[in-house]
Amino acid sequence: MLRDISWRYFDFWLLGTVVLATAFGTTMIRSAVAGNEELLPLINRQIYFALAGLVLTFLVAAIDYRYWMALYRPIFIVMSILLFSLYLSAQAVFGAARWFQVGVLFVQPTEFAKIAAILLLARYFDKTQNEPRDLRWLLTAFLWTMGLAIWILLQPNLSNVIVLMVILVSLLWFNGMQLKHVLLFGGIGFLSLGTIVLLSAFGVRLPFLQEYQQQRIINFILPDPNATFGERYNVDQALIAIGSGGLFGEGYGYGTQTQLRFLKVRHTDFIFSAVSEEFGLVGSLFVILVIVLVIWRCLRTAQKARDVAGMNIAYGVATLIFFQGMVNIGVNLNIVPVSGLPLPFISYGGSGLTSLMLGIGLVQSVAMRHKQMEF
Amino acid sequence: MSSESTGKFQVPLWRILVVYGLLIAVVGVLTSRLITLQVLGGQNWNAQAIDNYTNTISDPAPRGIIYDRNGHILARNVASYNVVITPAALPDDDADIQHIYRELSILIDVPVGGPVTDASLDQAKLFAVCVPGPPIADMVALGDSLAPYSPVRIKCNIGEALARIVSERSVDWPGVSVEIEPIRDYPTGSLTANVVGFLGPIPASLETVYRDRGFIPNRDKIGYSGVETSLDDILIGRNGLRVVQIDVAGQVLRNLEPPIPYVAGNNVVLTIDTRLQKAAEAALVDEINYWNTFFGTIRISSGIVIAMNPKTGEILAMVSYPTFENNRMARFIPGYYYEQLIDDPRRPLVNNAISGIFPPGSTFKLSTATGAFNEGVIGPDKIVETPGRLVLCEQFSPNDPCTERNTRPFVDWIYERNGVINEAGFGQLDFFHCIAYSSNVCFYKLGGGFEEEIDEGLGIFRLGEYARAIGYGARSGIQLPGEEDGLIPSPQWKRINTGENWSTGDTYIASVGQGFVESTPLQVLMSGATIANHGKLMQPTVVREVQDSEGRVIPIWFNPEDFSLYQPLEEEDESGNFVRMWVNLANPTRKLRALPEGSYQISPFTPNMKWDITETPKIQIWDCEIGYCDPTGNYKTVETSTVEAVRTGTRLAVTEDLGTLHDIFLEDYPLPIAVAGKTGTAEYCDDVAREARQCAFGLWPTHAWTLAYAPYDDPEIIILAFAYHGGEGGTVAAPIVARVMQAYFELKSIDLVQSPGS
Repeated sequence: MLRDISWRYFDFWLLGTVVLATAFGTTMIRSAVAGNEELLPLINRQIYFALAGLVLTFLVAAIDYRYWMALYRPIFIVMSILLFSLYLSAQAVFGAARWFQVGVLFVQPTEFAKIAAILLLARYFDKTQNEPRDLRWLLTAFLWTMGLAIWILLQPNLSNVIVLMVILVSLLWFNGMQLKHVLLFGGIGFLSLGTIVLLSAFGVRLPFLQEYQQQRIINFILPDPNATFGERYNVDQALIAIGSGGLFGEGYGYGTQTQLRFLKVRHTDFIFSAVSEEFGLVGSLFVILVIVLVIWRCLRTAQKARDVAGMNIAYGVATLIFFQGMVNIGVNLNIVPVSGLPLPFISYGGSGLTSLMLGIGLVQSVAMRHKQMEF
Repeated sequence: MSSESTGKFQVPLWRILVVYGLLIAVVGVLTSRLITLQVLGGQNWNAQAIDNYTNTISDPAPRGIIYDRNGHILARNVASYNVVITPAALPDDDADIQHIYRELSILIDVPVGGPVTDASLDQAKLFAVCVPGPPIADMVALGDSLAPYSPVRIKCNIGEALARIVSERSVDWPGVSVEIEPIRDYPTGSLTANVVGFLGPIPASLETVYRDRGFIPNRDKIGYSGVETSLDDILIGRNGLRVVQIDVAGQVLRNLEPPIPYVAGNNVVLTIDTRLQKAAEAALVDEINYWNTFFGTIRISSGIVIAMNPKTGEILAMVSYPTFENNRMARFIPGYYYEQLIDDPRRPLVNNAISGIFPPGSTFKLSTATGAFNEGVIGPDKIVETPGRLVLCEQFSPNDPCTERNTRPFVDWIYERNGVINEAGFGQLDFFHCIAYSSNVCFYKLGGGFEEEIDEGLGIFRLGEYARAIGYGARSGIQLPGEEDGLIPSPQWKRINTGENWSTGDTYIASVGQGFVESTPLQVLMSGATIANHGKLMQPTVVREVQDSEGRVIPIWFNPEDFSLYQPLEEEDESGNFVRMWVNLANPTRKLRALPEGSYQISPFTPNMKWDITETPKIQIWDCEIGYCDPTGNYKTVETSTVEAVRTGTRLAVTEDLGTLHDIFLEDYPLPIAVAGKTGTAEYCDDVAREARQCAFGLWPTHAWTLAYAPYDDPEIIILAFAYHGGEGGTVAAPIVARVMQAYFELKSIDLVQSPGS
């Protein structure tokens, strides 16, 4: 299979922006953890992950993505087992477990589940591309997604379930979901979301939401002016960091909020605030631009894809990066409730970075094979 | 693959465009939000970021030391040791921490505590700092969650030996250390508590004032009484200030601004001689105990001794008994002790020497004598008939008819003694012997006039003028808080306050310091000092000088009106001339061009004369017609001969066989130095006496007064003793004065031997 590889259509623009984003992220992590001795090894770890991810990108790009389509059953089964056993171990320690410890590594299967879901959906939409877009078509796609999402929901990890649902909705949209269904389910979704927010605001405990999740929603909708310290602390410190960055920032390694550790989880969820503080508006827009470039290259690849499966893979990865990136930045800017989604390629996190690199590898695989005519 | 069988599915372009539109919209929202935050709202966020990392640290200034006139320490700061743990500095390993806790626990006897739980933390939160109760682990856990780099006090006020042990062991215990906290210490304790005072926390009402001056409520203390209060602005110093950068854990990283070092409080040297103070206290307490034992009951509940140099106004001793132990207030003011002091009817917290008001009794006759002689009511050759009692009628207006109902006897103190009636009294006395024997009858006549013998007495208006001129009726302006004005009554005062007209009888009894007349012991002392010092009334003072921490004397002026303190400052004005400005120590930024009226210099020491009655016109001339008098607004002085005549009278009190002080100073406590003085036995009726049903004619309880000065020609010491419910002045108060007088001259001779040069 490696014989057929033609690197001519390998998207070096995509690779370039991803490498740029990852390098910038690593640099930023270095500044963010500078004040904390315990976190210092994270810099090298992120570099190793980035390098491994890069190798993975080339490796996956070299393999024709259609092989994965054929392996959809093992993918689904292995992923389900991983997620289920994670759920079981979470039960054992009476709390939310998000990772397996493998040696010194903490592996988060949820991150890989997103890529798996994209592959499964790509296969499904490819198989059903000529079938009518009726409710059965919709429901089957939903069930495929829920097959993985259910275990994530039980972890509980609502944010990533939402990520999976957004990928599903996005791919449904691209695959021709009927407008009346969009309106119907959009209406239902909007109504139920409104109900959840309203009930949370009035203090009604909902059985499928954790208490802290409801609290976050309340804090976002109705900020309590007296509760600056506890609940709103992280978001407030992020806003101070971003705001004090100004146009050009306080300089790399000189952001007081970041360096003196007033900004919390500054190497993961709030790394965008650290960027904004140290590099200002210019740096923030640069990060957004780089991520938008990555998304654009993925969307472009999708449009040129040889088949529906390839198209769906590229759209899925684009959606994943788009949603996670924008939600993370939105959280930093306090226009979205706190969610715990990392900033793609920038935030620290081995599993997240590796799975994204995996996704990019798949997109590259699609890009490299986009012209059927060449042999 | 499926794509080969049928036509490939194509995504309609509009669906893709919708997604691109969404992407652009979201990026647009994020960008506009970023611009709002970073470009439009920048200043505000920056201020919050600065607020996050900026911390101001106030370095406490050590409080000034208070010395007595010989350099003995009356108030100082001593180290108090607290065991503290800095949570952030503890070892990483829990087992190591537990090991430290266990070893420390054995040493300082504070429990280690079990596993820290929310419940145990809630329990520990209930305790104030330094209050024993919560275990080590919980205290540290609480501190760790708040500010891990701030030391947590585990045990306060441990002994010095233990502090040394913990300090030594702490080398092996990272995080544990011994904190040294300055605590006010009064080596002389209760002996000087009334003058020195004590400290307390900054009260809520003054919090903003002191905060603006850089002091920290709940840490820094201010004076609550004595010179600790009145000279607080001298003693308190100025706190240092450091503006530092901290991280989120509170660790200090660097100075953001050049640090301002603290300025130690200046030291104060008082005029008090601790040795004389001790002698005075001993004499007073001995005498009180002697009489209380004699009567078999606590009759004399409180007493006062003041010793002053009449030439300079320096207070050498000021004892107000009972008093309090100011060392018990050093760390904090214990509620039970404070309540005990407040509930005590003898008012031990109050310095009765300046805050107690009592009828001055016969000591007040100095005012009457001065006035009568100066106004020509009596001359040096005039002989006054002094029977045992006078029967006089009370007239509320000059035309009131004298009937039996308003006529009553006014007795002399010699009239009835030990049950023997003496109708003849002193017989005939001249002016000098009226003073020497303290004849009431004589002074009734001098004050109120008597039939054909003395046509017109001094009268209440003129009496008031002379009383005020020698020190009565107004605060002295001494540097001690809580001084009282006393009372020199006038007909107008009586009409306003009792609704009655002034009667002739009121004048008679006012002439002997009874009735409405009230004064503080210090005022009685001042009246004696004015006479002793040939008419010069010196400003009483307890402050000798103010020194900076290196012993240099600092010039300070004191305004008794509001207890503000001023330092002179030579400053160049616009035209290049040097002008003297006055800096208020409480508010150094405000400079005055002129001192507030009534201010006087307290350092370096200069005797401040309030006035000289023979030179300063202090006596207002009253224009009187048939008993109704109007002030004329014209003032006159007191003749030197008048003062000398009164002095002669006070000397005769000692030298004449029947003189009120003869037995004491010539027999019981003989002194080789010429002493002169005046006694007083003041009838009173206060709440205590009323309860004991003593407020009845013939039963009146009396306070004992005596003041004496020496040497007669050129007095350098005047001593006043007062015994509450003491009985007769000459028998109860005079021995106290005599003993203190002896002590004074004994100490003087010791000092002369030790430093013959001076």
